[in-house]
Amino acid sequence: MPTFDLHLFVQQFIYDPKNPLLFNNGFFVCFFTLFICLYYSFRNNFIVRRYIFCLFSLYFFYKASGYFVGLVIISAMFNYFVSNAIYRQQNKRTKMLLLLLSIFFNVGILFYFKYTNFFISISNSLFTTHFSTLNILLPIGISFFTFENLSYTIDVYRDEFKPASKFSDYLLFLSFFPKLVMGPIVRAHDFIPQINLPFTISDKDFTKGFYLIISGLIKKLIISDYLTVNFVNYIFDDPSRYTGLENLFAVYGYAIVIYCDFSGYSDIALGIARWLGFTIPPNFLSPYQSKNITEFWRRWHISLSSWLRDYLYFPIGGNRKGTVATYFFATLFFAGSFFAEVKFLQLSYFVSTAITLGLLLLFMLPSIIEKNKKGVATNLNLLTIMLLGGFWHGANWNFILWGALHGIALAVHKIWMLLTGKIVSNVKISWWYKAIMVTVTFHFVCFTWIFFKAADFATATTMLHQILHDFSFDVWGAFYKNYSPVLAMMLIAFLLHAIPDSLADKVLERFTKMPMVAYVAVFFMFVVLYGFFKSAEPVLPIYLQF
Amino acid sequence: MKGSRRVLFFVGSSFIIYLLISLLSYITGFTWAPFKKVNLVSDIIKNNSPTKKDTLVIADTLANTPSPEIIAKTNYNLQLYKQAHLITNFNIDTTKPALAVFLQKLHDLKTGKKRKVRIAYFGDSMIEGDLLTKTLRELLQKEFGGDGVGFVPITSLASQFRQTVNSSYSNGWDRESFKTDGIKNQLFLSGYLFRGHGDWVQMKDETIIDSAVLIEKSLLCGFYDKPITIKINDADVVINPNKIFNRIVTSTDLERSMKLFVADDKLPVYGLSFESESGIMVDNFSFRGISGVEFSKIDSSFLSTIAEENPYDLIVFQYGVNVLFRPNDMNFNWYAHILKPVAKKIRTCFHSADFLMVSTADRAFKYDTGYASAKGIDSLVRIQASIAYEIGATFYNQYQSMGGRNSIVDWANQTPALANKDYVHPNSKGAAILGKYFFEALMNDYRKFTNQSVKIAPNY
Repeated sequence: MPTFDLHLFVQQFIYDPKNPLLFNNGFFVCFFTLFICLYYSFRNNFIVRRYIFCLFSLYFFYKASGYFVGLVIISAMFNYFVSNAIYRQQNKRTKMLLLLLSIFFNVGILFYFKYTNFFISISNSLFTTHFSTLNILLPIGISFFTFENLSYTIDVYRDEFKPASKFSDYLLFLSFFPKLVMGPIVRAHDFIPQINLPFTISDKDFTKGFYLIISGLIKKLIISDYLTVNFVNYIFDDPSRYTGLENLFAVYGYAIVIYCDFSGYSDIALGIARWLGFTIPPNFLSPYQSKNITEFWRRWHISLSSWLRDYLYFPIGGNRKGTVATYFFATLFFAGSFFAEVKFLQLSYFVSTAITLGLLLLFMLPSIIEKNKKGVATNLNLLTIMLLGGFWHGANWNFILWGALHGIALAVHKIWMLLTGKIVSNVKISWWYKAIMVTVTFHFVCFTWIFFKAADFATATTMLHQILHDFSFDVWGAFYKNYSPVLAMMLIAFLLHAIPDSLADKVLERFTKMPMVAYVAVFFMFVVLYGFFKSAEPVLPIYLQF
Repeated sequence: MKGSRRVLFFVGSSFIIYLLISLLSYITGFTWAPFKKVNLVSDIIKNNSPTKKDTLVIADTLANTPSPEIIAKTNYNLQLYKQAHLITNFNIDTTKPALAVFLQKLHDLKTGKKRKVRIAYFGDSMIEGDLLTKTLRELLQKEFGGDGVGFVPITSLASQFRQTVNSSYSNGWDRESFKTDGIKNQLFLSGYLFRGHGDWVQMKDETIIDSAVLIEKSLLCGFYDKPITIKINDADVVINPNKIFNRIVTSTDLERSMKLFVADDKLPVYGLSFESESGIMVDNFSFRGISGVEFSKIDSSFLSTIAEENPYDLIVFQYGVNVLFRPNDMNFNWYAHILKPVAKKIRTCFHSADFLMVSTADRAFKYDTGYASAKGIDSLVRIQASIAYEIGATFYNQYQSMGGRNSIVDWANQTPALANKDYVHPNSKGAAILGKYFFEALMNDYRKFTNQSVKIAPNY
């Protein structure tokens, strides 16, 4: 006879590193129900409501990341005081010093937890030092909330925003549970003004929130997890075992997995926020519909790319000029690529020099064509943010390479526009030109995902080797037989992705008046579908590690 | 209703319904698989009722085959199969070597005699890409001498990524294999046969370290009724493949690569071979997805000709992982029933070779509680051992040697991982460990052999 187990019950409330709290845990269902009841009951008492929100958010973080919740509180306290000090300070110099202190503190914490071992290993291999790597656990969400802290103090410094007057406002901005562990990266000036507004949301908000939550759950838990567990991981684990065809489909599969995983989780965050009366800007806009790489970056992980634009690209010169940072990172890149060509690709000094100079030419070409010196700096600034954007994902050469490839692609796209601008202006709007461009862009993005996902450089090159040298349609029959459900899932994912966003909104409007019973029924249909697909071990979201 | 009230109402009612269904399913004992996994209260409920006995999935009539009758032999004990790292011929005196005939040949090499000792290592995807055999070959050649990767098929149905050979080929090769329906022609031990219509293949052996060693390069092919012209390294060569199986040495020199061109598709081509003139060779015969019973498709006279033309001294037979294809299967008597005659046939045809049956490695399935070793793996290993016992062959328990129950789960989850997340295939790191374990087991047996020979012939 099944019995209630008190011990197990109590354990549910304690952080379990193997099973961090995510939106798909049973515990979250209970957590959210209790929260919504309390939040609704105290909806008109802004102070109590805010404290309830802070407490639940911090507890959520504790269940997701353990005692690192202390880091969130300390970091909120520090930034709250420093930002207010910056705001009050009249002396420009002291103001600047305070800002530098804040940057030093935030970036310092991020560096300590995320990059210490990386730099130790670089030091060990370059300077033959013998530091042993440290046993540092990465606190979940640190990359996200550090960037939020930075944007906040920088905005205050720039006088673009009056800092939060109450500590709880700031703490809630930082710890707001829907986005704390995996973003999107929220800006204080968007968010804080929404904290103390009456809790009134429209029927449309309810429907939109519901749609975001359910579609996000389907993307993450059904499409992404299914493809990860049943196909993508097998191939990326040991690509040499599989033919080029299987490897190619694994790359397509991963393109879906990473999109559905991350955008699905973002959508759930957006949907929950919407239900609680907060509007957070979208993080993804059907990125694989992009017709070029520049457009891709306007549609992919928007909260990160816009952050990098506002707080990195513009300060280092943007499209106006180059700065010390521009040339520092550009030099690192060209020196690094030369070094990599000699050491990893084992090319001769002559060939490596030629390739590196070729790359340099690539970044200079647009301004040569346009006869405008500034263009070089713009391109190098773009390269810098792409390199740092890659590095943001983790202390790993693969991510830096991934960022570098995107930086190079942005430059190539510029050249392409300059060279073909007039020629293609007539065909630009034709469907076939768009189709070709979408296909080319998608394949380039897929190519870069190989480096992003593969465990190391050798695995990535093995995968490319298989796709290029061991490709045969002979295995299609066997492949189809083995993986037809996987292929069907991939097809569904691509078809869903192809639906224009405007269409989804139009359809949603029609459902606004749907009776509550129908919503509940849809929810339970999802629950059963999830039960059908659920894997034995939880598949942790990809961006949880960043 | 206002949006905010709708949120409250939706969340509240869904939660209550969800909780009620979850509780009801426990109270009434009613379970429905898709719901069971998402039951809201499953984490705080302890199930005290005895678990139902696993129901056997009986999908084929062979599952009802009675267990093979094992005839007890004096001084022999089947239970020895359970020991890890031991090559056993089931003789209760474990100080005696199991592979005496083969070890004598190894010993000849060790004591400076010039000869070839060849191992045929048969397997499924576990040894694909020269995994395991790569390590075994390397270690054996280091210990007993010899160079060369051995046999390499023209192409392969599955990925043929192997670091030990660098190959390229034209796309026109016709391929017949164990998987080709209604196959009538003679497939080689690799399970393949190729026909070229103006096709070429080029291979370079990447295993040879010693740049001064002479390498014998051979073409392995089937019967052709008259002398035929092929091209070796772009030069015309006339060969006369008048036996049903032929091993034709095309050159013996310092060259490590070879290019073959075949114009006539009536010549059955099996592959190329790279061997030094003396030493130990390991041929990898991997075929994805098979269980070993496929060799019933090759007839005895053909096998005997292979044994004459391309003699082997040790046959290693490692299958089983594809027999374990359903998580709940417990009964593998049917496998014994059909594998035994095949093993017997190979043993008879290759009469001068020792026969070593290697058990399956661990493989896991996803059960309700997570990944765990296949429920039936112990009984499969026992069945494999009993076949070896019955036909008077030797046995090596790879499953126990890699760590026994759930070792594949540990291998896949540790950092760096030793196995893939399919919980079936050790990766190259894991396969290297299996290769090393196997080599060490062989060396243990060899040490027993040398100790004995010292006793028998003290002046040796």
